Amino acid sequence: MSLADTLRQALSHGLHRIGQIEIRTIDPAVPAYRLCHADDLAQADQPAFGGLAVHRGADAARELATFSPDGEYRFAKAQTNLSSGWVLVLEGLDELHRALDLFYPAALGVWAAQQDRRLEVQHLRDKLNRQTGMYRFARNISDAGAQRLVREVCGPAHQCAKRILWQLDANTPLEDSEASRYTGIPGDLPANEAIPLLCREACNHFVAECRQASKAEAEAKKAAGD
Amino acid sequence: MPFAPKPDSALLIVGHGSTENPDSSTPYFDHADEIRRRGLFREVHCCFWKEEPSLREAPYLTDCTDIYVVPDFISEGYFTQEVIPRELELTGPSTTVRGKTFHYCLPVGIHPSMTGLLLRRAREVAPGVDPATATLIITGHGTGLNQNSTKAIRDQVELITASGAGYAAVTDAYMEEQPFIAEWDQLAPTKNVVVVPFFISDGSHSYQDIPVLLGIEPEVGPAASQRDVFRHNPHPLRGKTLYYSSAIGTERHLADVILDQVADFDLRHRPAATA
Repeated sequence: MSLADTLRQALSHGLHRIGQIEIRTIDPAVPAYRLCHADDLAQADQPAFGGLAVHRGADAARELATFSPDGEYRFAKAQTNLSSGWVLVLEGLDELHRALDLFYPAALGVWAAQQDRRLEVQHLRDKLNRQTGMYRFARNISDAGAQRLVREVCGPAHQCAKRILWQLDANTPLEDSEASRYTGIPGDLPANEAIPLLCREACNHFVAECRQASKAEAEAKKAAGD
Repeated sequence: MPFAPKPDSALLIVGHGSTENPDSSTPYFDHADEIRRRGLFREVHCCFWKEEPSLREAPYLTDCTDIYVVPDFISEGYFTQEVIPRELELTGPSTTVRGKTFHYCLPVGIHPSMTGLLLRRAREVAPGVDPATATLIITGHGTGLNQNSTKAIRDQVELITASGAGYAAVTDAYMEEQPFIAEWDQLAPTKNVVVVPFFISDGSHSYQDIPVLLGIEPEVGPAASQRDVFRHNPHPLRGKTLYYSSAIGTERHLADVILDQVADFDLRHRPAATA
């Protein structure tokens, strides 16, 4: 099934949320859609969208997704600090698909692959072992250090709304924590109403954190041996 | 020759991206939009090293099983020869990975058609300036770690010199290796000096760092999108008249260079696709 068909079917089965975004089907016949921040649901249903700023077309999604409300650059798009106060009107499924890929890049495709059981998940050790250049040192992080980083870097407490699918390696699951338990669905929606945000391998931000932590571990070890 | 449409293929534009500068990825999306508008591919996508979607997520963006990958990079080097093939699991010009075939094109910056873009940008930034009275400096990052990082610029300097564009002098200059862009006034024998940064985006290097080295700014300022006023040329500095352009990658016609690299790939590796 194509990604567009997957999206169409998901909407017709009642899915209406991805990350912090609510998807409203205005007219399934046209079709036309409206996106807004989940915090703006009440306003979005009022006349004139309750004063929310109205944007049209998928391209507007990129700007809406770039900065947090306090002006911080959102280089990781699953950060839970998406700005509110807007409505995005989209015509056609292709526009909707493109807008969703700008808000949450590849999230639809990754979820569709998971549904079809063809999603490739890469565990952390495999990810770290293939790093080169300045990130090569990241592979030296201890298991305990990596488990700690998951608790301190990942999950909604640290502004990431993705559900972690990877383990340290095939035999070493992540220790239980808020980050490792997280479902990828912000709020308390049931799973059949939202497309979850999935983390199929550690992001480059996490790899950079592993590099820092492994260096600190090496220095601490050296200091202890001196 | 007009570009033959590829209605069954996807185009994947690969950029570096940044975790710090919000303007870094703008040109890649602009180039993708431009090519998408022309309807030449079934799908057009971007992916990045430092932003999302990552190179590893890119295969999940598309339904297509035939994908042209164009590095929107200015030179061949660590990223185009090591990182991109590794992340996309490419082993040759065309590689089939889990049912999708990726055709790996050369980076935009080394295509000969970049010469025309550089000259166009140089003329636009200094309208009315006779090239015979001006020095054209093409500037890049430069690093002692990789010879290839400066080769693309040195090649362009040679091509521009041979092009008959008529500049009194044409030279290369770098942030971190000789000849240094900070010494631009000594590199230029003429009063008029035109500097074109050979970068894809107006990110931290071309918009924030090089202006300090040139003397336009006293210290590193905010990103381009977070300034109220774009800088105005010319800049009277060090006894000369300096014209500083935005990064060459922000040129709309770079979309054509991306298509040129796809067409060149077909000529070299898929002659049947050019028929």
